[in-house]
Amino acid sequence: MNELIAIFLGMVLINNFILVRFLGLCPFFGVSKKLGPAISMGVAVTFVMTIASVATWLIRNYILIPFDIEYMNIVIFILVIATLVQIIELFIKKTNIGLYFAFGIYLPLITTNCAVLGITLINATQNYSFGGSVVAALGGGLGFTLVLAMMSGIREKLELANTPKSMRGLPIAFLIAALLGLAFSGFGGMI
Amino acid sequence: MIIGILTAIGLACGLIIYMVHIKVPQKVKGLEKTEEINSILPGMNCGACGYPGCFGYAQALAKDPDLVVKTPCSQVLQDAEKLEQLEKALGITLDASEMSKKALVHCDGNSEVICSYSGVQTCKAAAQLLRGYKKCPYACLGLDDCVKICPQGAISIDPEKNVAIVDPEECTGCGLCVVECPQDLIELVSPGTKIAFLCSYKPLKNIPGRERCDFGCIHCRKCFKACEDEAIEWNKELAIPEFNQEKCTLCHKCIEVCEQNTLADFTKIGKGKEAELVSV
Repeated sequence: MNELIAIFLGMVLINNFILVRFLGLCPFFGVSKKLGPAISMGVAVTFVMTIASVATWLIRNYILIPFDIEYMNIVIFILVIATLVQIIELFIKKTNIGLYFAFGIYLPLITTNCAVLGITLINATQNYSFGGSVVAALGGGLGFTLVLAMMSGIREKLELANTPKSMRGLPIAFLIAALLGLAFSGFGGMI
Repeated sequence: MIIGILTAIGLACGLIIYMVHIKVPQKVKGLEKTEEINSILPGMNCGACGYPGCFGYAQALAKDPDLVVKTPCSQVLQDAEKLEQLEKALGITLDASEMSKKALVHCDGNSEVICSYSGVQTCKAAAQLLRGYKKCPYACLGLDDCVKICPQGAISIDPEKNVAIVDPEECTGCGLCVVECPQDLIELVSPGTKIAFLCSYKPLKNIPGRERCDFGCIHCRKCFKACEDEAIEWNKELAIPEFNQEKCTLCHKCIEVCEQNTLADFTKIGKGKEAELVSV
């Protein structure tokens, strides 16, 4: 149990996907202009991450390791993630159209998100157990959502601030990201 | 063996998607119309209509069918069969000849080169340096930006006048070149246009030393006076003629009287060059 808690906290804060591992940076800057879309993106990423972790753990432990072809991790994980996202999209589209429009373009975008491929590869290299993989994915997704929400909150306030003209928009966002990363580096070595 | 396993996983993934597609019942109602419209649209997701992809356009059309008049899909307009299907799906009638517009370059070229430009060979780059290297700050720079963007290959550069020319027969009115042109020379005009005005010069106060080229409109009003059909109205603000395509009988009097050759017969633009080639 202690191990799971350690994995969870490690994924949310210490090894945060965006600010410490630098994964999933495109939605970090692309979808962090408003709080609402940022949180729905975060939820969608968490959802896909968890399901992808479960699927890739099963495939890795029951197909790749017995046949001794672990070096094909990346190829097969990409295939599985893309399939999963397609199935989820198809399923949601047919059963709950409200949710489909709420996810909107974000769901297919996640197919190529490096954070999702990242969590499956981290699970593989760290040799997490099944429970560990799921908790790591949940934690990673939560950390992703947390940082996206923080960033969008700051950027919403920044719209009102008197920023120099040449720094408006993305440049100031990069600076804020660097400061956030500096703050998160303070969590390093906590566990 | 590895290939076998990989193939098996790939096949299994494909099969699962197929099974989900077949087995999961379509519970959601109310999307049939959008799906129907979407199946008619070309599916290229070119974005020329201003919506994020064909599905977004279909959604907007399902809500408000009249949108198709304001922002028509140029691909559908080209295809009579698809247009009929779209009319049926939307429940309105459309006049394709009215809606399908043609691009027209408002420049006759020939503007004098006043400095040698050896930078990046695109109009966009050249236009950023004080609006180009020609005497007229509204001149066509002829560096192929619009030629490259045109999906139909309808635009070519006239080698003698060094100006872009749109072939109205090839043009589908998608409007990509209108956005691309850094000099804002291209306009979408209705296909019934008869006389084309080939100058875009406007007095510019903030760029000294740049003026109208020797071939632009000199605002002499001769065409306005020569017209016997009252098809020309004088735009007093810009001091340029405006043509009424319904009254115009294409008598060519305004073209003959124009000393600057700023007016041209729109129905012959893009075809004159070929005719010349044949005669030579």
